[in-house]
Amino acid sequence: MYRTLKAATALLAAVWFLAVVPAEAKDKVKVGFIGPLTGGVSANGLGGRNSADLAVRLRNADLKAKYQYELVVLDDECKPNVAVQAATKMAADREIVAAATHYCSSTAIATVDVYHKFGLPVVVWGAVLPDITYRNRYPEIHRVNGTMINQNDTNAELLTKLGYKTFAVIHDTTDYGKGHNEYFSAALAKRGGKVLGTFGVGADQQDFTAELTQIKALNPEVIYFGGLTPIGVRIRAQMDKLGIKAVFDGTSGIVSDAYIQGLGPLAEGTLAFREGAPTDKLPGGKFFMGKYAAQKYDNAPEAYGAFAYAAMELILDSIEKVGPDRRKVIDDMARVKDRDSIIGKITFDDHGQNTVSLITKYVVQDGKWVVWEDSEYAAGKRKLPRQK
Amino acid sequence: MDIGLLAQYIMNGLMVGMMYALVAVGFTLFFGVLDVIQFAHGDVLTVGAFAALMTFAGLHAAGLGSGSILVIAMVVVSVFTMAGLGMVIGRYMVLPLRTAPALNTLLITLMLGTVLRESVRLFYPQGANPKPFPALLPASSISIGNFNLRLDNAMMLAAGVLVIAGVELLLNRTKLGLAIRAVAQDEETARTMGINFRAIVLIAFAVGSALAAIAGVMNGFYYNEINFGMGLYLGVVGFAAAIIGGLGSIYGAILGGFLFAALQTIGTVALPFGSAYKDVFAFAVVIILMAWRPTGLVREKISERV
Amino acid sequence: MQPGIIAQVLVTVYFIAFLAVEKQPLIIGMLGLAVIATLAAYWMGWLALVNRSFADREDVLVPSAIVAALAVAAFFHDNHFVLLLIVTILLYTLATLGLNIQFGYAGVLNFAAASFFGIGAYTSAVLNARTNLPHLLVLLLGGVLAALIGSLLLLPVLRTRGHYAALVTIAFALLLKAFLEVNDVLGGPQGLQVEGMKIGGWSFNDNIEIGHIEVSFYMNYFVLSLALLAGAFVLSRRLERSWIGLNLDALRLDETAASCFGLDVARWKITAFTLGNFLIGIAGALFGMVGGFVAPNNYTFADSLILVSILLLGGIGNPWGLVVATGIVVVLPEKLQTLQEYRFLLYSLMVIAVLLFRPEGLLPRPARNYFPGWRP
Repeated sequence: MYRTLKAATALLAAVWFLAVVPAEAKDKVKVGFIGPLTGGVSANGLGGRNSADLAVRLRNADLKAKYQYELVVLDDECKPNVAVQAATKMAADREIVAAATHYCSSTAIATVDVYHKFGLPVVVWGAVLPDITYRNRYPEIHRVNGTMINQNDTNAELLTKLGYKTFAVIHDTTDYGKGHNEYFSAALAKRGGKVLGTFGVGADQQDFTAELTQIKALNPEVIYFGGLTPIGVRIRAQMDKLGIKAVFDGTSGIVSDAYIQGLGPLAEGTLAFREGAPTDKLPGGKFFMGKYAAQKYDNAPEAYGAFAYAAMELILDSIEKVGPDRRKVIDDMARVKDRDSIIGKITFDDHGQNTVSLITKYVVQDGKWVVWEDSEYAAGKRKLPRQK
Repeated sequence: MDIGLLAQYIMNGLMVGMMYALVAVGFTLFFGVLDVIQFAHGDVLTVGAFAALMTFAGLHAAGLGSGSILVIAMVVVSVFTMAGLGMVIGRYMVLPLRTAPALNTLLITLMLGTVLRESVRLFYPQGANPKPFPALLPASSISIGNFNLRLDNAMMLAAGVLVIAGVELLLNRTKLGLAIRAVAQDEETARTMGINFRAIVLIAFAVGSALAAIAGVMNGFYYNEINFGMGLYLGVVGFAAAIIGGLGSIYGAILGGFLFAALQTIGTVALPFGSAYKDVFAFAVVIILMAWRPTGLVREKISERV
Repeated sequence: MQPGIIAQVLVTVYFIAFLAVEKQPLIIGMLGLAVIATLAAYWMGWLALVNRSFADREDVLVPSAIVAALAVAAFFHDNHFVLLLIVTILLYTLATLGLNIQFGYAGVLNFAAASFFGIGAYTSAVLNARTNLPHLLVLLLGGVLAALIGSLLLLPVLRTRGHYAALVTIAFALLLKAFLEVNDVLGGPQGLQVEGMKIGGWSFNDNIEIGHIEVSFYMNYFVLSLALLAGAFVLSRRLERSWIGLNLDALRLDETAASCFGLDVARWKITAFTLGNFLIGIAGALFGMVGGFVAPNNYTFADSLILVSILLLGGIGNPWGLVVATGIVVVLPEKLQTLQEYRFLLYSLMVIAVLLFRPEGLLPRPARNYFPGWRP
């Protein structure tokens, strides 16, 4: 009996002590990063994380910085429900001042309300669904990369110019895929292309023989795919198994090394589009690539690493200017106009959206993503499937 | 509907049905011998597929072998390691719980399945990502109208039939098979007759797990991709197939496997928005079947000690 | 009574300390302390004393548990995340109580518990968005809908036994997830946003300010969850002690003998299954509003397995064990950040260990007490 009383008192004392001891020294500021660190698109998530980490490291090494930054990283697994949990965790932690969030559009659109509820300023670095910034007018949400409207416009333009008239659309059933379907179909209709069939598939669907068998019967010249790398790889492989000869035309979701690694020689001749210039042609591209290589990370920055870096830089600049206070950072971000960054000048419109008007066209040539204008396909030396 | 298209659907269904059947036969073997549901079976399939992938990576990096040698090596390594894993599971997880309520075995194997799945995800390099599986089988194909018959699919189908026929032969024409069937029928009498109970149980586990390994490698070659979660779905479908067919009956298990694939194919072809709802349709039919025939299509003969 | 009260005080203090501590080495140290303390208690026979005390003096121990919970919540009144954890524990316990009625009392296998949880959550999502029904009614409807959809499974559940019965609910779990994923009306894989709860004019999603003290808005949900859980807990215990509970126990222990004695097997299975689903549905409906988001990926077969493993860990049939087990399962991965990734692996290993070495669970269900205060 007395033993237990003594133990209880000791525990109470420990609790009291722990509650009284202050948490951190005053100088430290926490910033957050959320991305898909595991799962099919983890290459992009890890690249983004490394890029954000690079920004924090460089800032911490800078003697003129007012604060010491700590990067808190959470994984959203490219799944909306996990993302909401991660976002709630990050936003509920009062010590985290701002965060660079999300590569997957399905996760970004699901968490928009969470950030608004808790008042956490975020800068999206990789998700392209327009609704993320345009559905509501939340002052917390900003985005440095472009939206999918322009990429699908350019996509439809190129394909109709190359003479293709019949299309089949496969898209995943998340808001990301549905968004691509909507914008591409509209862009195509404006230019006279015909969509023979539209097929929605699950984000982790394994077997596409049913959809592809139906597509085979429809016989389109181009199969447009609105979705991410893992199912892009599967669809392209199964297209080949069923003997379907058509152009495989994708979006920014498949612009990744993982796509080529997954398919090997089958990847040849795949088209894709992405907003922003290739990383090495960005204004700060060479600087970024140099510093990134110096850190010897395990993964490449991939397509959106530069945007993640720019997003984190923007956050750090903001905190330096107004201090580690969420509301002040939100006010400061509302006034972002022509801020310099490695991706060029950033200006947020009234919905927090940056304008990235340049769209890069890519084609897979000899196991690499090559800019279309530089490729042998554009020069006429090689031909895409069923090209006239 | 175009006949070529129909033929394509049927071919797809046959391939998938073969894989389900292989898994279902494993479930039925375990049940027959020990009256247990080994729910880690699907995840043993996953581990088998990854074992084959590792074999390929190793041999490929060493520059050994080509085409058919690699295929044989992958299958052999996968089969033997999974047979071993099956025996370990039987020896340490299932046999000790023989006297506990059957539910405990179901639960422990369910958890074991999760352990296997998570281990692959966590400990295989970048395990959470889907992994490309090498395309080593001949990829040539014959096109008859709309129907595209690929040589590798035909080979796998033939191999599957051979394997099932082999298991049939093993069980019905060999002494070992006789021993397995004896243990399945009545454990006590079999022991009295001098059959080494433990050895037979472990062998049955080995055979069942070897079948899972073959199904896993087949899956890899068919989709050219494996991922850590493939076993969960296949395990449940195999379980459903074994149950529809009636636990304890090999023929029932095979029937169940192809029946489930047929349900999915019918769902895809006949329903509007077919392919999306095929799983919903197939599982709904399974539940209705269970309501109609609670012990499966091929009735299980059970007696219960009161 | 004393062992129970002392155990409650110790656990509460430890819990507060564990939640408050941030540094990883300290957390691991505290965990080690807990494990040693539990083992010591077991060997000294104190665990059995505590168990008995909880079984006997529930009239005192349930109110004191409520007070303890309020104390914990008051300590963390402005910490969003910890309060959210506590609400999660409360609602998961509520759901597991439902599962306990099905599985622990009546022996009806249900591997689709997370699916019924999801049905409740989707009900609150859809009803809050499309209609103006009072939110408390929505909670009730969540439970009712879960029970109704569960009744679709009644025929197969009644007619099957053992492994076959397991398959019915497993197939249903997969069916429901596939259905939710392809169905665009219900949001598909993207899921649905759920409006926060409002009772009268009081919105549950606004922070509360009392003078200078700011209280996290999760406190609203905490109070409601605690009330629901307390109600369900008392209901569950009353049920267990009543003749209904006796019937369910007879049914679970030996179905053939029970029916020989004239028990209507079908009737009691239906009662247990439906009541269990009702509770699970209510928990799901409230949890949907707490999180503000529902998606098919939250309610998979793997999540049902987690609920079943909570039941096994805590001790099948013992509601107090459930509370402890849920606490462990929910809090541990959040606190041990390094183990976040390994959490499924660890749960499964824990359950395997429990099944191999202590199948009764942490707090095994004590023998039925026909006369309160009776001692052998």
